[in-house]
Amino acid sequence: MSVLEPMGEVGPPIEVGAVATSSRRERSGKPKKRVSKHLRDNRTAYLMIAPMVILLSVFVIWPLIYAIYLSGFEISFYKDPTFVGLQFYQYVLEDPRFWKSLGVGLYFAILVVPLGMVISLLIASFIKTLSRRVASYMKTTIYVPAVVSTVVASVLFVFIYQDQGVANWFLSFLNLGPIAWLNDPAIALPAIAVPAIWLGLGITTLIMLAGLLDIPESYYEAAELEGAGFFKRTWYITLPLLKNILLYLFVTGFVAALQMLDLPLVMTNGGPVGATTTPNLFIFNAFRDGTPYSTSFSLTAALLLFAVLGSISAIVFRLINSDKAVDG
Amino acid sequence: MHKRHSKFVLGVAALVTAGLALAGCSGGGGGTSEDGKSEVVFWQQQFEPYQQTWFKKYVDKFNSSQDKVHVTLQVVPGDAWAQKLKTAQAAGKQPDVATTNYGGIAAGVVNGAFAPLDDLLPAESFSDIKENVASFVTIDGKHYAYPMLVEPSTVLYYRTDLVEAAGLDPNSPPKTWDELLDWSAKLTQGDVKGMTIASVGGDLGWSSWGLQYNACGHLPISDDWSKAEATDPCFAKLAEFYKALYQGGYIPQQPKVGYADGAPYGGGEVAMMAGGSWVVGQLKNDFPDMVAKTMVAPFPSIDGDPTKTTATLGGWTLTVDSKSKVKEGAAAFIQYLLAGDPAVMADFFKTSGFSKYTVRTSVDEALASDPEASADPFMKIISEQVVAHGKSEPGYPWDISFAMGTAIESAMKNAASVEDSLKTADAAINDVIEKQKLAGTAPQQ
Repeated sequence: MSVLEPMGEVGPPIEVGAVATSSRRERSGKPKKRVSKHLRDNRTAYLMIAPMVILLSVFVIWPLIYAIYLSGFEISFYKDPTFVGLQFYQYVLEDPRFWKSLGVGLYFAILVVPLGMVISLLIASFIKTLSRRVASYMKTTIYVPAVVSTVVASVLFVFIYQDQGVANWFLSFLNLGPIAWLNDPAIALPAIAVPAIWLGLGITTLIMLAGLLDIPESYYEAAELEGAGFFKRTWYITLPLLKNILLYLFVTGFVAALQMLDLPLVMTNGGPVGATTTPNLFIFNAFRDGTPYSTSFSLTAALLLFAVLGSISAIVFRLINSDKAVDG
Repeated sequence: MHKRHSKFVLGVAALVTAGLALAGCSGGGGGTSEDGKSEVVFWQQQFEPYQQTWFKKYVDKFNSSQDKVHVTLQVVPGDAWAQKLKTAQAAGKQPDVATTNYGGIAAGVVNGAFAPLDDLLPAESFSDIKENVASFVTIDGKHYAYPMLVEPSTVLYYRTDLVEAAGLDPNSPPKTWDELLDWSAKLTQGDVKGMTIASVGGDLGWSSWGLQYNACGHLPISDDWSKAEATDPCFAKLAEFYKALYQGGYIPQQPKVGYADGAPYGGGEVAMMAGGSWVVGQLKNDFPDMVAKTMVAPFPSIDGDPTKTTATLGGWTLTVDSKSKVKEGAAAFIQYLLAGDPAVMADFFKTSGFSKYTVRTSVDEALASDPEASADPFMKIISEQVVAHGKSEPGYPWDISFAMGTAIESAMKNAASVEDSLKTADAAINDVIEKQKLAGTAPQQ
């Protein structure tokens, strides 16, 4: 959603400014600067965003409105839907598995996002110190996991976590018994967090690297002259200047982790006793049953999840972005 | 000039977007084509490869044998089935004929999804169905599905060579649950586990029905579906049994495949297996070397009583959608495939390696004269000792079965004590009864 927000302030229509400028310039005698007519035209702006707005309306906004309308009915495809008002909202909010799945989603996000960002920052800092050729090789390598489909990664890690798989093989060197990685309710979710972090490393590292390269070297040189070590430099220079990027990565990472569906679906199908049932997987599983009750239930759960995610995002923005974002 | 240009571009952009949006909608479902032929869409749930081949063969035969009905076969994988069917129903593009299991018939009839077949098929087709199976497809005196086969959900398979090597007698398989635990312990050697059985909630939900009947004589719900009964002490014994198998390390700690797949047994990773009768067909087709080293027995009974149910009779039927526009054509196809010449179904059972069981007396007669059928080592044991005592699958919503399956899983993996797990299931089942208004809606069998 953040890509849709205006990057800066939206200025007043250029016509007014142009008139003011031209009259001032005429008075001062300097030649009038020509701004092409088509760039001054608001209509062009609307034209540019028209395809996106149309697609959004057709595929996101209209279905959302219709879904809210439908959530007041018990939907059947063979009989007339019966109006039940807010009853399904009550059913979903009373279901302990809905709340458990939210808890699982939050726990998963807490496992994946901070650790992923720390690892990405370290890797990006490392890449920054490399020579150009080696750096570009590293950038390609770190991005490869991002290109791998999540389903392929899930299957790969299922094999790694097998009873006789690579993970238990490593453990055998430390003389630790084989662990049922995906079948132990306490370990299953952290086990799934590993491929999630691995998949997210590529994009996060590259964005961090871009942010790091933006920081002027002069700041670091000045700090070194003052005798600041690596950690002091990171804490006082790097992190504050990376604040916008960190905020962006945190919010997008958090929202994406909360909505993770592929990994638990393929690896554990909701996990031992629902330990890896993320909210989207809960809705997906609720949808599978053939009764009209389950259709309405999953629809309402999806709408409630939308509300929950929206409020979490709003809270995160409020807490972290307490001062207006300003260019470094 | 810019104004005209921008209006034109805007128009084109709108058209392109609308075109892209509409391109997503494609034609589907059945109807009557221009030359008067009925187009019937048939969705077959994906099973073993030999089944897909058999269906394709007979669909082609049906299409070429007459020119009034044309059937299009579409194979849909089982794990995407429910979603795909539902979205097709929402779009009005659901298939005319679909594979439906016995357990799904009651819910479908309540929802109005199935067309009654009594007016579409001749009466002899229905009188040919075996008595106990007829009750599976009849609701309020009308037939809503035509049965194809039954397959008991739980049979015990064991490796005679490994059993002998462990000093046990392959001719007297375990008859009680304690004996099974004893055998599992003795057969767990090195990487080979003694036993395998369902261990995830989704699999346990349906594969433990037979053992729920075995332990308690009833399912965790009252007969009229008004109250949950999951906290009965007999269910605690059931949970303890599964827990002993898992915590004892006798079954793989992380199953590679679901309960329905016999590959771990076929691949030699386990010495014994609880599996459906369909595993026979899988062994014969994919692991032929194992067949000579395998014997089957009914799954042990809690107290050794062989007349107690240990397996439910699952199976598949074909149903006609109530909104189908080509019901007669669909019924003609079902008549040809399932209810007509017994040789067609006899061929099916032969192809399956006799791992599935008939539902029509005429097909029984056709197979009785087949020497291959009478020579099969598994068929006699399964049909006489397992199918004979099998009960039908429950018709209540899956949520209830899943709640019970989750309780067993929770006990198995020590996520909670047996007592707490069953209490959670009890509360969940009562919740389902209340929200889905099930009290008093149990189908009369």
